[in-house]
Amino acid sequence: MQSGLTTLDYIIVAIYLIGTVGLGLAIGWKFKTGKDFFLAGRTLPWWAIGMSLVASDIGGTDIIGVGGAAYAHGLAVANFEWIGCVPAMIIAAFVFVPIFWRMGIYTIPEFMERRFNVGVRTALGLCWLIFMACNVGIMLYASARMLHSLTGFSEAACIWATAGMVGVYTIGGGLKAVVYTDVIQCSVMIGGCLLVLGIGLYDLGGIDGLREQLAALGERTENHTSLIVPADAKSPFPWPAILFGLAFILSPAYWIGNQAIMQRSLGAKSQFHAQAAFVWGAMLKILIPVIIAVPGLIAIAKFPDLATPDAAFPTLAAQLLPTGIRGLFLAAFIAALMSSVDSYLNASATVATKDFYLRFVNREADDNRILVIGRTVTLVLMIWGIGFAFFIQQAGENTGIYTIFQTLMSFFQGPALAMILTGFFWKRANGIGALSGFICGIICAVGLFILHNWHQSFGIEPLFRIEEPFLYFSIWSFVVALIVIIVVSRLTPPEPAEKTAFLKLNVEVSSNNV
Amino acid sequence: MTPLHHIGDFFRDLVLLVPLWAARTIFVFVLLVVFIWVLRLSPERVSPCEIEERNWTNNLKLWAAIAIGLQIIIYLIL
Repeated sequence: MQSGLTTLDYIIVAIYLIGTVGLGLAIGWKFKTGKDFFLAGRTLPWWAIGMSLVASDIGGTDIIGVGGAAYAHGLAVANFEWIGCVPAMIIAAFVFVPIFWRMGIYTIPEFMERRFNVGVRTALGLCWLIFMACNVGIMLYASARMLHSLTGFSEAACIWATAGMVGVYTIGGGLKAVVYTDVIQCSVMIGGCLLVLGIGLYDLGGIDGLREQLAALGERTENHTSLIVPADAKSPFPWPAILFGLAFILSPAYWIGNQAIMQRSLGAKSQFHAQAAFVWGAMLKILIPVIIAVPGLIAIAKFPDLATPDAAFPTLAAQLLPTGIRGLFLAAFIAALMSSVDSYLNASATVATKDFYLRFVNREADDNRILVIGRTVTLVLMIWGIGFAFFIQQAGENTGIYTIFQTLMSFFQGPALAMILTGFFWKRANGIGALSGFICGIICAVGLFILHNWHQSFGIEPLFRIEEPFLYFSIWSFVVALIVIIVVSRLTPPEPAEKTAFLKLNVEVSSNNV
Repeated sequence: MTPLHHIGDFFRDLVLLVPLWAARTIFVFVLLVVFIWVLRLSPERVSPCEIEERNWTNNLKLWAAIAIGLQIIIYLIL
C-alpha cells in the first residue's frame, strides 16, 4: 500500500480530514453548558447515534485485525459482530436504555451510586477511567503503527497528527461533535470497505469463485466459512468461548455497561430515539462482518502466502483498488481509528468530570464552570493518551504492557455486568455485596491471567488451551462476582426502598418522549 | 495439575461431548428466544408515546425482529 499512494489519494484523505475537523469545530462553538458538552444537550437523533455506535465500536485496528483474523482463522471472527453484538443491542434497547435515559444520568457509575452506594460508583468509575484513558493511548499507538505501514510516515508523526485532529474537535464539540463526525466516519468506513469487498469479489468471479478458491487451499481453509468452530479446534474462537464468554458475558457487558457506548443514547432527544438508535445500530452491525471479515477470505484466496495475516486487508486494497480509490480506503481506515479514539476520549472526560471532580471536588459548580472543566479534562486526557502512546512505543510490546491493557477490559467487564444485572433484577442486592463481588471478580480475572501467562514461573501447565483466553477470563470472573454478590447481599442488610424505586420505570416506559 | 486444571478439564470434556450440530442448535435456540421475546413486547415499549406518531416505520419491534431474524438465518446457513 505504502508505495501505491499517489497525490490524488492524499488529496482525498486531506478533503476528508478537513471536512471532519471543520464539522466538529462548527458544532462546538455555540456550547454554553456542561450538558451541551457531555450529552449534546440531549438533542441527538436515532440515526446519528446508531451510526456513531457502530463507528465507535469498529476501530482502525479492527478493520486490519478482523480482516487478518478472517485470513488466519476464517469467518468465525464474524461472531464478534453478529451474536457478539446484535442480541445484546436489541435487549439493551428495550430493557436498559429506557431506564438509563429516564433516570437522566450522565454515566454508568452514576447509576451505580443511585442503585447501590458511592463506593460502588467510585470503584467502577476508577476502572473505566483507567481503562479508557489508557485505551486512548493504546489506540493512538496501534493506529500509528498501522498508518506508518500504510503511508510511510513516522509513528511519532502519526500519533501527533491523529491526537491533534481528534483532540481539536472533541475538546471543541464534545459528544455532539463526536457523534456527528462519527456519522461521516461510519459512512466513509462502510463505503471504503464495500469497495474493497465488491472489487475483490468481482476479481474472484463472485461468491462461487471465492468458495472454489478457498476449497482449492484444502485443509488450511477447512473451517474458514463456518461460524461455529469445534471446541477443540486450533482457533481462538471455539464455540463454547463464543457462546458463554462473548454472547452471554462480554457482549451484554459492553453494550449495556460501556460508558463510551451508553453515553450516546443518554444524549438522545427522547427515550424513543435512544431505543431506536440501538435497533438501527444492530441492523448496521449485520453488514459489518460482510465488509471487513469477507475481504480477509478474499485475501487468503488471492494471496495465501502473506508474511502476516494483518497484511491481508492492506494488501488487498493496494492490489485491487485504482488510484484515488486507494485514498478512499485510507480515509476509511483513518475514519475508523478517529471514531474510536474520540469516543473513548469523550467518555473518559465525562467519567473524570462527573464521577470524580463534580462528585468529590466541587459539587456546586455552575454550567459554565462544568463546560470549562469538561474541556480542560478532555485536553489533559488527550495529553495523557499521547504520553501513554509514546510510553508503549518506548517500552516495546515484548514487555507485556500492550497485552495487559488489551486484556484489561475482560478483567472488569464480567464483574461489572454482574453488578448491573443484580442491580436491575434483584432488589435484595446491596452495595456491600456489589462492591465485594466486583472486587472478587476482578481478583479472579487477574489471578487467572497471571496463572495462565506466567504458568512456567509457577511450575504448572497453562490453565487454558487457547492462546488468548480473555473470553474465558470474563466467564469465570462473572460467575465469581455473581456468587459473591448473592452471598454477601444475603448476609448483610438490604438497601432502602428508594434505591430500587427506579425499577418501577420499567413498567412506565410507555410514556416515551419525556 | 492444580484443582483449577481439574475444574477446567471437567468443563472441557463436557463441551467436547456436544456435537457441532448441537452447538449450532444452541446458537440458533438462543437467537430464537430473543426473537420470540421481541415479538411479545407490548406496543408501548416499542413505539413513540404519541398515538399520532405511531406507524409501522416507528414500530421498533418490526426492525428488531428483522435484525434477529437475519441472525437466525445466518447462523442456520454458516
